[in-house]
Amino acid sequence: MSYQKLFDTTISDKTVKAWRDSGKKAVGYVCCHVPEEIFYAADVLPVRLRATGCVDSSDAEAWMSSFSCSFSRSVLQYLLNGTYQLDGLVQTDGCMMAARILDNWEHISNKKSEEQFLHQIGAPRITDEYTIEYYKSELKEFADALGEFSGTKVTDEGLKAAVAKTNEMRSLIAKVYELRRAENPVVTGAEVLSITLAECDTSVDEYIEMLKEFLADAENRKPVEPRVRLMVIGSALDNPDYIQVIEEKGGIVVADDLCFASRAFGGQIEVDDKDVLGSIAKYYLSRHTCPRSLDNRPAMHHEILSKCKEYGVQGVIYQKMQNCECWGGESYYLEPDLRSIGIPMMQLEREEHMANAGQLSIRAEAFIEMLEEK
Amino acid sequence: MANEKKKLEFAEGEKINLIDLTCRQVDSIYQHMLSKNKPELMWMFDIQKFQWEEVRDAHRNGKKLVAFGGPVPVELIRAFDCVPFFLDTISTRIASQEELCGRFIDETEKYAPASMCGIDKAQLGCILKGELGVQVDAFVHATVPCDSARIAYPIMERVFNCPCFTFDCPFRHDDKGYRYLAGQFDRFVAFMEELTGLKWDAERYEVFKGLMEESNRAYSALIKIAELRKKKPCPLPGRTLVLNELVACMSGTEACTMMLETQLSMGEMLADMGMSASKCPEERYRVCLMQNMLWSDTGILDWMEKTYGAVTVMDGYGYQDGILYEDLDNWENIKYIGAKKMLHTPMIHGATGPAEYWIRIIDKMYDDYDVNVSIFMGHVGCKHTWASGKIVTDMIQEKYGIPTLYVDVDAIDPRYKSTEELQAQIAEYMESVVGATKF
Repeated sequence: MSYQKLFDTTISDKTVKAWRDSGKKAVGYVCCHVPEEIFYAADVLPVRLRATGCVDSSDAEAWMSSFSCSFSRSVLQYLLNGTYQLDGLVQTDGCMMAARILDNWEHISNKKSEEQFLHQIGAPRITDEYTIEYYKSELKEFADALGEFSGTKVTDEGLKAAVAKTNEMRSLIAKVYELRRAENPVVTGAEVLSITLAECDTSVDEYIEMLKEFLADAENRKPVEPRVRLMVIGSALDNPDYIQVIEEKGGIVVADDLCFASRAFGGQIEVDDKDVLGSIAKYYLSRHTCPRSLDNRPAMHHEILSKCKEYGVQGVIYQKMQNCECWGGESYYLEPDLRSIGIPMMQLEREEHMANAGQLSIRAEAFIEMLEEK
Repeated sequence: MANEKKKLEFAEGEKINLIDLTCRQVDSIYQHMLSKNKPELMWMFDIQKFQWEEVRDAHRNGKKLVAFGGPVPVELIRAFDCVPFFLDTISTRIASQEELCGRFIDETEKYAPASMCGIDKAQLGCILKGELGVQVDAFVHATVPCDSARIAYPIMERVFNCPCFTFDCPFRHDDKGYRYLAGQFDRFVAFMEELTGLKWDAERYEVFKGLMEESNRAYSALIKIAELRKKKPCPLPGRTLVLNELVACMSGTEACTMMLETQLSMGEMLADMGMSASKCPEERYRVCLMQNMLWSDTGILDWMEKTYGAVTVMDGYGYQDGILYEDLDNWENIKYIGAKKMLHTPMIHGATGPAEYWIRIIDKMYDDYDVNVSIFMGHVGCKHTWASGKIVTDMIQEKYGIPTLYVDVDAIDPRYKSTEELQAQIAEYMESVVGATKF
């Protein structure tokens, strides 16, 4: 098996088609608070929806208006234009923009009398024992409904088997990230984002095999000699071209705090045999994927600062999707925190499609030059 | 028509005390109305004077001031002898004051995106500038209504640097959701005990019971007012919808009950005479605003009445589900009802869960109020309602045959759109789609 698929960011229906052709279901989901393990335990292929490459979301704009974020709009566009051919959609209230994808898709599917598995999971915005228990109950409802839909009941054994695989996947991704610590890394930031994005529409088994092959071959790759080491944080970023524009100016992105990258793969699920679903709920609610929660800001900022130190980051690029409020207000405390350890931060606004590549290029170049002169 | 949006001038570097300024403004209007010798109108001003002076004088009266955001059980805050201070009322109060509103919004936009909701931008900016004018003793907030609030509240927590409590409001508004939220009440009571040093004992519960009874009186009056507004002609003008929003922070006080009961009795009197207090000679159209009230330009409601006889009979923000406390001695039941009330608070009820909740409310409003003019006066900061707007307006078109006017506004920032531009947009719809003619 070739690992080249890891670097192909076009949304592929190959895996989905093969999976569905075998008589099984493939269901999309939005937001990384939806546990993939439950899909696998129900013998359903999870497809994390992204909008990579979407340059025209005008059909979706008619539904969601131009005041919604272009990521959400573009995901809906891909549902509308058939880029995604799936058996359903699962969503959490990760952010309110994304939550509306499900509402609109449900409405549109009903109008077309298309049968879809549609499910909403409520994810608390505070993390403690009480909220984890509630989240677990939400996951239980989802697991029961999905099991009924697929015909494969979700059991503890099924979940444990799925966790074993996703944990292995996380370990392998951690090894990919280890490569970025080197003074002259053998992977660029754009490549790493491509690798993590490939997981969205690939089965976990296939993905693990590709990661293993890539890691085995990594030492043969040519190291990059960067001018400066950067970190990218902020809104959902599913387009490696965005990072490539920055890297073409001589910087290398060695770390990130992105929900389509490191935040989606952090840590490991520690399974308590007596409470398997509770273990999954605890993992998904406790990790700090984005500032959607109200009690995780200090911890998130601390992790960003720690990563800066671990990866030798010289500057942070904070990219915000227009109309993304979740990531809207972090600079108030984060910028002074970063400044206190001598790391400048550049803020950029962007849209899903690369409309402002020229401006990004100029600003990235100026930022890199400024960092070099420090 | 002259732009009614008010302008204030501030000297550069001048520090504002917002609460003092607001109390002075409210008192000035109050004294003016007194001098006009119109006692029948004073109920509209009594409540505002009470509201702001209660906040200003909390410490002077030996009470702790508890700032809050989103839906919280205000009766419980009052039961612990504290004054609840709804921070959203800062934004809605100053919305028509371009200079003041702009001053705070601009401050927030230094750190947060301009796309953030103006309600949160205005109050956060005031706090960031240190111009609130009062020291808050605690900050209680929910995890709703929206992503904008979720930017603002964590920053406010750090700036206030006081004891804070967060209610995690679930996405679903059903039995399971109510139970989840109700399960957080005991922890909140413990928080209030620690904050105030007062015990949650039988004596405190009696105080709480009294507040629930008072709150029930206010909400009962509000339900009857909502019922009254169904009459043709609607006896009460659109503007009173704005005033009624105060119930969110004032329920449990006699002042709030009195304001609503007076409004009700006046409305009933007018209805009995077949009259209306609206600004139009004849009610020709019944308007429903599907989303927030336009606090930055409430005069538009008067203009619609005067120009086209289009009376705003209800709005998506002010619409109440009318939930009352029952079985007051049963704390377990009260927690459940309290949670239900929180999730059915205006704006929270339609905007914080799946779009089907909003559809349900709009459908009920259009049906109950016999609406024939539909306006989505969409607050640009409320992006998630924009993102489900078409689902709702499709329903209105299909079920009621009414095409909806979409018009973007900023409910708080008067700089977003001029009155004249807004009037032109509404006029075009009224005359070309509805077929209305001016008086």
